[in-house]
Amino acid sequence: MALRAKYLTGCAGLALATMMSAPASAVDPSRLLTADQNANDWLTNHGSYKSYHYSPADQINAGNVKNLEVAWTHFPERATRGIQSTPLAADGVLYYSGSYSRVYALDGATGKLLWSYVPELDEELVSKQTHSPYNRGLALANGNVYVGTVDGRLIAIDMKTGKPVWDTRLVDSKKLTVGFTGAPLAVKDTVIIGSQGGEWPWRGPIFGVDGKTGQKKWEFFTVAGTDEARATWGGDSWRTGGGGGWMAGAYDPETNTVWWGTANPAPLYDWAGADWQKSGPRPGTNLYTTSVIGLDPDNGKLKFYHQELPHDAWDFDSAVGEFLSIDRGGQKLMVHPNKGGFIFVYDRANGKVQNVWQLTKNINFVKGIDPKTGELIGRRDLSLGKADTPLCPAIAGGVSWNSGAYSPRTQLYYKISQEWCMDITVIRTTPILEPMAQLNIGADFKLVAPPDGPARGRLDARDPVTGQKKWEINYKEPPLASILATGGNLLFVPDSEGVVHAYNAETGQELWSHNNGMGHNAGIISYMAGGKQYVAVPAGWGSLVSDEFAALWGEPFKSMAKNTGALFVFALKQ
Amino acid sequence: MWVPVLRNRAALAVLALALSIACGSAQQSQGPAGARPPAEASPNDIDGPTMFASVCGYCHQDGGRAQGKGPKLAGTKRSDEFIIDRIRNGKPGSMPAFGGTFSEGQIVAILAYIRSLEDNGE
Repeated sequence: MALRAKYLTGCAGLALATMMSAPASAVDPSRLLTADQNANDWLTNHGSYKSYHYSPADQINAGNVKNLEVAWTHFPERATRGIQSTPLAADGVLYYSGSYSRVYALDGATGKLLWSYVPELDEELVSKQTHSPYNRGLALANGNVYVGTVDGRLIAIDMKTGKPVWDTRLVDSKKLTVGFTGAPLAVKDTVIIGSQGGEWPWRGPIFGVDGKTGQKKWEFFTVAGTDEARATWGGDSWRTGGGGGWMAGAYDPETNTVWWGTANPAPLYDWAGADWQKSGPRPGTNLYTTSVIGLDPDNGKLKFYHQELPHDAWDFDSAVGEFLSIDRGGQKLMVHPNKGGFIFVYDRANGKVQNVWQLTKNINFVKGIDPKTGELIGRRDLSLGKADTPLCPAIAGGVSWNSGAYSPRTQLYYKISQEWCMDITVIRTTPILEPMAQLNIGADFKLVAPPDGPARGRLDARDPVTGQKKWEINYKEPPLASILATGGNLLFVPDSEGVVHAYNAETGQELWSHNNGMGHNAGIISYMAGGKQYVAVPAGWGSLVSDEFAALWGEPFKSMAKNTGALFVFALKQ
Repeated sequence: MWVPVLRNRAALAVLALALSIACGSAQQSQGPAGARPPAEASPNDIDGPTMFASVCGYCHQDGGRAQGKGPKLAGTKRSDEFIIDRIRNGKPGSMPAFGGTFSEGQIVAILAYIRSLEDNGE
């Protein structure tokens, strides 16, 4: 169902919108190379290969944003756990996915439904899944829309007709429980998608699939994907190591390298304590979990890696898919947040650490990370039993999967930090020796406030390379949606209570807000249709992080529905 | 399966053991036949606290003593039948169905663990 706002209900507005809205057209992979300079479209999950979550569009700007209002809305079916996807836009058509991998194509100017696609899923399997049935996004290329499913498939849908082109099963989800929730990434003629993993005992592969035919081209196991990596898992623990790559990464065309972040090993918590090299359920550093890896998109070969947290014993994976390509002083850098609350800066040519800076204030799983080498300093390996002080940050991380934004205009990186800790008791669990349909956690825990105040969220505006802070905004609860910077000197932040904020990107001054009535847990984008700029954001609450909010903050989260959602699209008043 | 009302912890433990022996271990039986001997299978298959920490504690925090992603379980007024049904069949969008993962014996062991939790009034 689509509703147009009053200023488009007039005949003139309708005619103009209809006339100027181009029909869906094929997106050639080469278009993705310049997506960062394209104000009209939003072609990849992160906006472009540079992952800036930035649109150069400037019709809506700091001077007129006060006139922003809802242009149209769309309500998806079966919005179980709300909406968690970041929409895409191409040639005046908006595409987005909802739970159960349902995909919608809408006229970007009017919201008119062009087509919808409802894959038939294995519902019995879905009922067994913890990290389900949400979907976090799509990819566009070769005239197709690509979407992964929680029952282990990658599907290509014709952009124009909404008809399936191919449907390829990549994971035996019936056996392994996990499938795909993250967005695919299109690179040349290959579509890349990473499976879930982490606390699920398997080997978390990333796949390369021929975008035209659906044939699998390659598969890279994030757990023991090479002989070198297998040697970092004691005994047979590599068989059930977890891993995965559940958010879309980025692509560096200059080096033909796909950058991907990998998930944590299983079990999450390790009773071996400081003796983790030799004992416990997964002795060793556990490559390539909680790592950043560089892959050749053509054959899936590993080019380089950096394990951000060797033997991750805290569930602070590197699966956050945000990789910002920043050029600074002749250096070509890649900026990547780790769930533990540190930001890593790499050399794009080889993955070598160039700097590490701390975003999240309350961290005690390590004393620090060497900014020159990336080596952990003073790691806190939990022993069996109850920890004497809370672990910081909490399992939900110092950052979550939702992306920050970078504005080439202000040269500032805007990023949400989560400030919370947790009481934890590490428990020796039964060894799990085969991949199977079961979580493998290894602890009892409870989220609590950090030592310096209440549990809360914060938006920082910082230099992406040095971490130097320019300004900050505090929130009662962490915003859980990806954010958006624009050429209009604006920063849009959809928050957890349901309010979308627009700030002056230079100063952090709030210029506009709108209450969508339900929490945001997805991604916000900007695009053009019919020569007019729009801002689109899905609202709809419910995820494994947002589910923590009721216990920590009570209302409105205790009463907030987790089975509904809507896409809200904003434009300036006529 | 018929499930008796189980409030007595000793009775629960006995029944859990009996069911575990009768039903076998789903957790250890899903690997390829003959791939390797199940390690530590017998004692832990009915170890409710361990199974809870492996799987359930991800959502039911502090070992089920506090609300987290899922509700607090200590002191729950829900019936045994309700809890067993919920473990077995889940709740769409909130809780996975573990009926295909846990044996009946393991489910009862988890129920016994839940019933053993002291309600601290939190």
